[in-house]
Amino acid sequence: MQNPMPLALPDLQAAFAAHVAGGDRADLAAAVVGDSISAEARLRIYRHHVAYSLGSALAATFATVHALVGEAFFRSMAQRFIGQTLPTQPVLTEYGAGFPAFVAGYEPAASLPYLEDVARLDWALNVAFHSPADRRLTAADLAGIAPERLPSLSIAVPAGTALIGSCYPLHRIWNASQPGASAEAVDLSAGRANLLVLRRADDAAFIVLDAGEAAFVASVVEGTSLEIAAERATSAGPSFDLSTAFARLLALEAFAAPQQKLGDGPLKAPG
Amino acid sequence: MTKTRIAIASALAAALVLPVAAQAQGNTEKCYGISKAGKNDCQTATSSCAGTSKKDAQGDAWLSVPKGACEKIVGGKLTAAKG
Repeated sequence: MQNPMPLALPDLQAAFAAHVAGGDRADLAAAVVGDSISAEARLRIYRHHVAYSLGSALAATFATVHALVGEAFFRSMAQRFIGQTLPTQPVLTEYGAGFPAFVAGYEPAASLPYLEDVARLDWALNVAFHSPADRRLTAADLAGIAPERLPSLSIAVPAGTALIGSCYPLHRIWNASQPGASAEAVDLSAGRANLLVLRRADDAAFIVLDAGEAAFVASVVEGTSLEIAAERATSAGPSFDLSTAFARLLALEAFAAPQQKLGDGPLKAPG
Repeated sequence: MTKTRIAIASALAAALVLPVAAQAQGNTEKCYGISKAGKNDCQTATSSCAGTSKKDAQGDAWLSVPKGACEKIVGGKLTAAKG
């Protein structure tokens, strides 16, 4: 058997990665020993195994996308993504951050314009699920603060929180795609949805916000004071009711517990 | 303190003492939740033969048509609307 010039280790690794991503590499096949199974067939096992495992990981993370398009289509779409984007770290639950953007540009899925938003929601739920469930801000944390100082407060949101806006009734699409969902059709023209993804004690979940609440949360996430958040919310949703919305978000444990006691030290100047 | 600021301060303070019923309502409202089985980071395919198919998975992407729950989603346009 002819001994080819061995590839240097970095070249061998690069060739293997390229092969796994879908490119046939004659130089790699030449570097692999074949016996009863040819070198090419041996290498194909790796390629298919990587594709299958990563495709399964994506199907688990993007379960709603998977349910919407079906196994065959999903595998096909995932395969294209995997060929472009191999994982850069070993944790499979962190693989797929770029998948929603990829879905948006994936032409065979163009007939499902909401699919990108579904992918963003699936990803946000996945991130929330794998975020720590730290202590949350409660009304009691704020009770000791003089009311006139409340508007100047900036409060944080916990890791894993995400606000997902969609032109489509995303919560209904998501609901209709769950196992055991009713066969009832979802009308895409039912209007936009603002969803708040939360890490809860035992799971990840999302709730539907109205336009004012969504503007309020977006402002809080940005780091503004509650006063500015309230003003933006009122502009976005004229029927916004600050007391109801703030009580609701506190009850949902949507805010992070303060790192230090709130109200201590100098507060940021209002504005 | 401006009038708006006073109104915001009172509204925020009121939220802290809203009757328990209102807060409980927040807790029991409709949430769409997920919980997952643990996913092994060194995930293996269900069958070690899963990767040995001779058929290359590349190349058929453009022929496939979604066949899933998307049949339930009706109306709207075929082009993506951004916003």
